[in-house]
Amino acid sequence: MAEELLKIQNVSKSYAGVRALDNVNMSIGKGEVHCLVGENGSGKSTLIKIIAGVVKPDEGEIIINGKTFRNLRPIDSINEGIQVIYQDLSLFPNLSVAENISLNQLIVEKRRLINWKEIKDIAKKELSNINREINLSERVENLSIANKQLVAICRALIQNAKLIIMDEPTTAITKREIDYLLSVILDLKKRGISTLFVSHKLSEVLQIAERVTVLRDGKKIGDYSADELDYDTLSFYMSGKEVVSSPFSYEEKHGRKPMLEVKNLSKKGDFKDISFKLKPGEIIGVIGPLGSGRTELALSLFGLNKPDSGEIYINGQLVRMDSPQKAISLGLSYLPEDRLHQGLFLRQSVQNNLVVTILKKLLNKFKLLDHNKKYKYAKEWVNRLSINVPSLEAAAQALSGGNQQRLVIAKWLATDPKIFILDSPTVGIDIASKNNIHNIIKQLAREGMGIIMISDEAPEIFRNCNRIMVMIDGSIVRELNTVDITEDELFDMLSSN
Amino acid sequence: MMTNNKNIQIQKIFSQSEVYLLLIIIIYSVFVAFLNPSFLSLGNLFNLSKSSASMGILAIGVFVVLLSGGIDISFTAIAISGEYIAVNVLLASGVDNIFFAFLISCLVGVSLGAINGLLVSYFKIPTLIATLGTLNIFHGLLLTVVGTKAINSAQLPDCFKAFGATNVFTLTGSDGVRYGLSVFTVMFIVIALLTWLILKYTMLGRGIYAIGGDVEAAERAGLNVSRIKFFVYCYAGILAGIAGIIHVSLIRYSNPTYLVGTELSVIAPVVLGGTRITGGVGTVIGTILGVAMITLLNNSLILIGLSSFWQEFFTGLIVAISVSLSSYQSRKSMGI
Repeated sequence: MAEELLKIQNVSKSYAGVRALDNVNMSIGKGEVHCLVGENGSGKSTLIKIIAGVVKPDEGEIIINGKTFRNLRPIDSINEGIQVIYQDLSLFPNLSVAENISLNQLIVEKRRLINWKEIKDIAKKELSNINREINLSERVENLSIANKQLVAICRALIQNAKLIIMDEPTTAITKREIDYLLSVILDLKKRGISTLFVSHKLSEVLQIAERVTVLRDGKKIGDYSADELDYDTLSFYMSGKEVVSSPFSYEEKHGRKPMLEVKNLSKKGDFKDISFKLKPGEIIGVIGPLGSGRTELALSLFGLNKPDSGEIYINGQLVRMDSPQKAISLGLSYLPEDRLHQGLFLRQSVQNNLVVTILKKLLNKFKLLDHNKKYKYAKEWVNRLSINVPSLEAAAQALSGGNQQRLVIAKWLATDPKIFILDSPTVGIDIASKNNIHNIIKQLAREGMGIIMISDEAPEIFRNCNRIMVMIDGSIVRELNTVDITEDELFDMLSSN
Repeated sequence: MMTNNKNIQIQKIFSQSEVYLLLIIIIYSVFVAFLNPSFLSLGNLFNLSKSSASMGILAIGVFVVLLSGGIDISFTAIAISGEYIAVNVLLASGVDNIFFAFLISCLVGVSLGAINGLLVSYFKIPTLIATLGTLNIFHGLLLTVVGTKAINSAQLPDCFKAFGATNVFTLTGSDGVRYGLSVFTVMFIVIALLTWLILKYTMLGRGIYAIGGDVEAAERAGLNVSRIKFFVYCYAGILAGIAGIIHVSLIRYSNPTYLVGTELSVIAPVVLGGTRITGGVGTVIGTILGVAMITLLNNSLILIGLSSFWQEFFTGLIVAISVSLSSYQSRKSMGI
């Protein structure tokens, strides 16, 4: 292995008696691209904070560039060339690219006055160092996320970064943007700069990392070379559970008449000429990268994004899907991609969240809300989807990601839908919960519901759908039955697109 | 390539709301001048700039606070407190000196501003609530402790009247009427220039933009957010103190119940000038144009012959339209 840049020895940290990190060792070489993976609560963020000097470990030491630190302060970490790029990037949306790149360094130097030529020169130089171009006077809020990341990387480089830690950098970017980011990281590697990726998206981890460190429940499970890992072994290391997911097999027992038929649906800038049929009991997977029009299509089916042309039939009847109310009355439900902002009222109780879609059913004879009925309904759904809640009065934001997602699903199932559209139903959820949600979805299909599942993870689609539609740049480019291909073939097909 | 660059530059110029505002001001001025030629006379313009100076200075204070991501609505109470206390101190002490009056008013302004600053930066009270509270506290204290008696022109110390009549230069029109550029206007320009310099060329100024853009990012970058906020409210306080003295010198009448209640008519031109109400975006020049537009509107309605009651209506209308337009534009650029 190359020369060591960072070494973490026997680091432990407890919060209020809970061991967040337990005797963790890790090392990163110069110019290495290293990945740190683990589920939520595995201790990833605590470890990053310790490396950044923001959190003090209870035990253990950190060795950077051969210097041993028992009490690493943030300023030491920065001086040794460690830069953390947080998930939100910590950029100033209202300021120019040049200023965002240069300002932090000037603050560190305790400057009082601003020399605009210097600000531009610094930014220009750093961008040309990594062979990239962005308009220096553009406001950062107008940039794509990929370019925002570039700005954050440049800002880190200016402060003499030797190790750049990126916290979940690929969560919100498209495939093309991910490739772009990876190319930048390879350039950095050539200059001897190391990168530590922190992620829970497995496929990307395997694509770029040289070495992968897996954390689970605060303990290090191991260091692996990326070549020796595949999706299943990595998810086993992360969760500690052998996840056995049976592929979904569709049986034509609920009739062959399509419950939903879409003909030549188009919306300028979003998608074009989309046609497909959904039969009861089917799970159709729509796979495509962020920006492929998959979410826009789902919104159109649910009456939230008026298409320019084309037709939608429900049970053979031509319908105009012009509002979500209409869609719901026709038996549709939609689980949004962003459950925190669109799916839940985070500060409201579990109970209130559950019944919000069916308030009309809960009225008493004075047309007022019947609280007993409400409680009964909520309790029933919590049990049916085994949602783990401290109480029905607990705020939705107090639940874990997996339980929140089950809550959103329950909320929509309460409306008794015939067709359920799920947009990225397991994003950001730990593997065990993921599996549980997949089983719920498959069970619903077996009971005769028609399901459209959108995702950008090939294994998720492959293992839970009977039919797959591949969406690229607004068009369905391929449509196939899961039984006709293997998972690897699907994966190859997607990466060749 | 060249033409492409040029196009981008032209696009950029037109993406700035200041340019639209300037165009509207010009077109509207021509329209009013057509109806009433005396509108564009140098005398009238000098007069307008004199009478709007105190509103302009207050607006600059509001602008800086909005830029930092906050809002201040207590500035009218600060201005009237500074002014009324200064007038009373001058009367009681017998010192008849305008600089002394400014000193006292600014001291009052900076102290009250510091109280706002403390509440906002160290006690982390939401700015609207904090300044809504202090607006009433400051004004209530003024009326109960200092008094409610209005001081009329005859009782007012001479220095205010002399200051109000001071011109930097005077011209004589063809009809023999003398008019000049008031020292008020010059003070407004100096303050605008100073504010621009602070915002553009000091780390403090960039810090104000930065915390208005993203407070958390500013903290992570190592900016002292509390200190910047504290400065912002003190600065707004001093400007209110200055505006108070200019106001009393203009109207030659000191009434402790004046100004309070006019907060929105000062905030309106700032928002009109393109300052984002959520912070981080805005320019001094935009604020000046906003003040000019509102002044123009108020003045021209009278020249056109509409009752001054229409002022409120039109001010509200123009703010509603301009804010809707800019919100529509930003949503369009985000693709929603």
